Amino acid sequence: MLDALVVANQTTQSELLRIVHADPAATEAATERLVDLALVWESPGGLRPLSGVGEALRGDESAGVSGLRPMSAEPGTPEVVAARLEAISPRARALLEHVLANGGEGTTGNARRTVSAADAATPVEELIAHRLLIPRDGGVLVLPGEVGIALRGGYTTTSPRDEVPELATSERDPALVDRTAGGAAFDVVRRTELLLDHWGLEPPATLRSGGLAVRDLKATASELQVSEPEAGLLIEVASAAGLLTSAADPDGSEVWLPTDAFDTWAAGSTAERWATLALAWLDTTRLPSLIGAKDPGGKTWNALAPDLSSVMAPEARALALAQLADLAPGLVLATGTGVPSLVERVAWLRPRRPSVHRDLVAAAVHEAGLLGLVGAGGLSTAGRAVLAHDHDAALAAITPHLPHPVDHVLLQADLTAVAPGPLETELARTLHLLADVESRGGATVYRFTNGSVRRAFDAGWSALEVHEFVGSVSRTPIPQPLTYLVDDVARTFGTVRVGHAEAFLRADDEAALTELLHHPKASTLGLRRIAPTVLISSVPVDVLLPRLRGLGAAPVVEAPDGTVRVARRDLLRARRPRSSRTRGAAQARAQATVASVVTAIRSGDRATASRPTSPTIATTPSSALAALREAIESRETVVIGYVDNHGASSDRVVDPLRLEGGQLMAHDHRSDDERLFAVHRITTVTPLSAPQP
Amino acid sequence: MNDGPLIVQSDKTLLLEIDHPRASDARKAIAPFAELERSPEHIHTYRLTPLGLWNARAAGHDAEQVVDALLSFSRYAVPHALLVDIAETMGRYGRLRLEKHPTHGLVLSSTDRPVLEEVLRAKKIAGMLGNRIDDDSVVVHSSERGNLKQALLKLGWPAEDFAGYVDGEAHPIALDQDGWELRKYQQEAAESFWHGGSGVVVLPCGAGKTIVGAAAMAQAQATTLILVTNTVSARQWKDELVKRTSLTADEIGEYSGSVKEVRPVTIATYQVLTTRRKGVYTHLELLDARDWGLIVYDEVHLLPAPIFRMTANLQARRRIGLTATLVREDGREGEVFSLIGPKRYDAPWKDIEAQGWIAPADCVEVRVTLPEGQRLAYAVAEPEERYRLASCTHAKIDVVRRLVDQHEGQPTLVIGQYLDQLDELAELLGAPVIKGETPVKERQRLFDAFRSGEEPLLVVSKVANFSIDLPSAEVAIQVSGSFGSRQEEAQRLGRLLRPKGEGKSAHFYTVVSRDTVDADFAQNRQRFLAEQGYAYRIIDAADLDTTR
Repeated sequence: MLDALVVANQTTQSELLRIVHADPAATEAATERLVDLALVWESPGGLRPLSGVGEALRGDESAGVSGLRPMSAEPGTPEVVAARLEAISPRARALLEHVLANGGEGTTGNARRTVSAADAATPVEELIAHRLLIPRDGGVLVLPGEVGIALRGGYTTTSPRDEVPELATSERDPALVDRTAGGAAFDVVRRTELLLDHWGLEPPATLRSGGLAVRDLKATASELQVSEPEAGLLIEVASAAGLLTSAADPDGSEVWLPTDAFDTWAAGSTAERWATLALAWLDTTRLPSLIGAKDPGGKTWNALAPDLSSVMAPEARALALAQLADLAPGLVLATGTGVPSLVERVAWLRPRRPSVHRDLVAAAVHEAGLLGLVGAGGLSTAGRAVLAHDHDAALAAITPHLPHPVDHVLLQADLTAVAPGPLETELARTLHLLADVESRGGATVYRFTNGSVRRAFDAGWSALEVHEFVGSVSRTPIPQPLTYLVDDVARTFGTVRVGHAEAFLRADDEAALTELLHHPKASTLGLRRIAPTVLISSVPVDVLLPRLRGLGAAPVVEAPDGTVRVARRDLLRARRPRSSRTRGAAQARAQATVASVVTAIRSGDRATASRPTSPTIATTPSSALAALREAIESRETVVIGYVDNHGASSDRVVDPLRLEGGQLMAHDHRSDDERLFAVHRITTVTPLSAPQP
Repeated sequence: MNDGPLIVQSDKTLLLEIDHPRASDARKAIAPFAELERSPEHIHTYRLTPLGLWNARAAGHDAEQVVDALLSFSRYAVPHALLVDIAETMGRYGRLRLEKHPTHGLVLSSTDRPVLEEVLRAKKIAGMLGNRIDDDSVVVHSSERGNLKQALLKLGWPAEDFAGYVDGEAHPIALDQDGWELRKYQQEAAESFWHGGSGVVVLPCGAGKTIVGAAAMAQAQATTLILVTNTVSARQWKDELVKRTSLTADEIGEYSGSVKEVRPVTIATYQVLTTRRKGVYTHLELLDARDWGLIVYDEVHLLPAPIFRMTANLQARRRIGLTATLVREDGREGEVFSLIGPKRYDAPWKDIEAQGWIAPADCVEVRVTLPEGQRLAYAVAEPEERYRLASCTHAKIDVVRRLVDQHEGQPTLVIGQYLDQLDELAELLGAPVIKGETPVKERQRLFDAFRSGEEPLLVVSKVANFSIDLPSAEVAIQVSGSFGSRQEEAQRLGRLLRPKGEGKSAHFYTVVSRDTVDADFAQNRQRFLAEQGYAYRIIDAADLDTTR
């Protein structure tokens, strides 16, 4: 509509109605809205778009505009244009349509600008002659708007623009939708809790770029028994709900940790927890669907990466769900074709959104399904409430569809405990400590093992407490093997004890140790008896030893292998200083020095020998350059006069190699190495090939 | 929320609450496609496996039925992904068909060309196929029928076999139901096998698998080859067949290490078939000696690998496998499925026990503490020696003696793994010992004496694990086993489960050494028992007298 105005540039209402491919009433309504929005104004000559609107509306049909160029200054009437189209050859017509399909612009290299229809040699020239293409500067040919409209059957677009794309739907019992969604909602809450509980114990590191490592995502996915994209969604939603953040762990490295809000959240009812997550998801700008995909730079998007967000995301979600909400009750998106049709519909509603928006819509439906807003392709009652940001209504709607928490388990002789539904949070945590989880889902299967029971003992439980707890939560008699297992673990628990000691004292004479232990002056030694003949001390050996001697004992020190070490004080001696080099090396070095001195002297001699007898004439840099180039080409050795950093002038014998950037790369005979000389510092260049006698 | 007895977990296990009023309906609905994994007292665990789902397809169930069963009995919402997965898995079965073609013989055909193209490109399959007939079918070398099915199963595209069976050489066989009759479940088992053409019947030990075999033979009315684990069991088959059917002793031949008879019904041992001389299976010709109409595999879970290969060539004959458990320690259940056939009948132990056909059992684990000296020896022993040390402790001997005394007058078996230990026990208890080296004749004599009550106590090695019918045994004491093998546990318990008169229950004791690998292995086996629904107790050797 707006686009048609741009094409027409300035037009009347009736003209507009004619060219917009839609119901006239709808077009009129749209015109009024545009006038209200001040995108269009009513000039004396008719409706005109605001300047600038034209520039903003560029692109082709995928961007939601017709792709037509503005009309030429004096458009003929549609009949005239049609007549002109009739007159051209089929080849020219095909070309014209091609230009139209490619944005209304083309270039031509050699077509003459002014030709008459009669002597047009090529289709292009023919079109120009018929003023169906208008040449512009630089060989650009523009297809004027009126021609485009004529080609499209009198409208700016080929297909009508006021038909809402239908959604592909199928019938489904609303109760089933709510139930499926309820199941998913419960799963999400359970998994989020599991995720954050797990990360509270073993937090994954925060990447330097701010995200979560792919490896951690994989580990999390397998821990939660979900696919990686789903794990990514859970993580992102938890973060969006403020349950997860990046913070420093006790070692000071950045890790992802549950926030204090998580504890509050975890204490709430399942319905409340779900509503928090669902609302957070609806409003977040994060893009969980892109996790694992490649960014434009070819890098994989990490979960929780800071850049992984878009302002379009919440809008896309709300729009997609709103479409589902508008469906009659009992209708849901058809499997397979439903989502593409929804994407189509949203694209029609928001034609100016980039194509990534469509992916967001598809992802939104998928994510809503995982989060329990959508079940079996339809928006659940609770989902509608969430969409309306009605927290209380959402709670009321979801509660009947969540499994009721159970407060008991069934114990079996194979040492498993089955909770036939979601356990109350506190109970679940305790059982988690006592037994290993074997299978999760609507129900949870726990298995008691030696290790799990020992874990409970490690956490401070006693066998009696375990028996009592198990007895209180079990609805069935406790199987004898379980009782036996707990007692058996209790029997072996703590049989080996590990402690800390700086030193030990042992003696066959128990009385001597007792005496030491009770000596009034020994209280600071931190002595403790761990066996009749063994004491341990919290004081290191080197402190302990003199103190014991002071107390009148005569201790000897035991080496790690158990032998007695004589505690005679070592006499201190330093190592004799050794000359750092052997004679041979020194000799070689001296010879090398001599050799290099000789080389330098000889090279100096040659430089002197080649020096012209006449006083050196200061050459200009350009002549020096010329001489050097010559030397490079003929591979001659030359003597150059060179002024170094300190202003000292010297003569060097060099083989010039190449010249570049004002510098000469040359092999210097004196240092026997390649080095760079600044050309402007070279004062003279004399070939060596003509040595003076 | 739906108040069903079933909870569907996302890891493809199904939990069935058996105290629920609709539990038995649910069990019937899910039994065709879900494998019963554990059946302890309150909640049974079933698992959905591709094999199980294909089994169901082979038995004529479709994905719609499976999904419907899950949805109608499930207490909570069924994970959507699981339903999709079921439909996909079941959809894979039967895309490929093995058929008999009037001119080309055996052909592999498909209605789904991409699948056919995919499998044709698999390297393993290439050698088994001949020329392409048209776009949708390809000739199969008839000798490769079994191998092909096996390979296709591995690729995840199991083929449905429509090629049919040869009838074999006819031979009249009838059941002679004089003074006994076929139990209902035996009848059902034989019939469901016959409808399926070939397959495996799973029944607990003591439930009369031999009779099911005989019933299948009566259905086939053809010459039959019966493959069994050992000679003693071969003789038992023969006795049973003579007793229960119209066959006479002359019609039944034994083909074993000592006797080589080929008669209309021939009973051969696995061992003789797999004997190789200079790398050649010398007795293979037995399989072609007659035009067998039926092949019976006893204890199919023990089928040795070479027999699998031979079976691959016998795909045109009807095959029935009999077993107490499809659990194979080597995990080759898939080969049983593809070569012998899908599971055709299955009844949980507890159900049959409830009907009174097998005896209830009281399982007790007795833990003994190693004496101080042996504990030290154990602590420093090499890992491979540890199990032997722990198993053979002398502390066990004392416990065994006390147990034997407790059950004085009841027929008792003492079962063990290590021969030294068995010899020692036998000497101490004054009982005969049966082990691998005991001649068959002597074994027969001892078993007969045991059955008649002359010998109330036998000490046996693992030779007695299988297929030896000792219906009178009431007490078994297990002193050592092969590293916690679950399958062995099932077999040993099975010795006890032949029904006793007067509703007496059997006693199954396992003596283990505390805090050693022996106890770890025992845990493995006990878990198996518990999963089969047998509550067991653990007691200390010291408390032995007080717990009676």
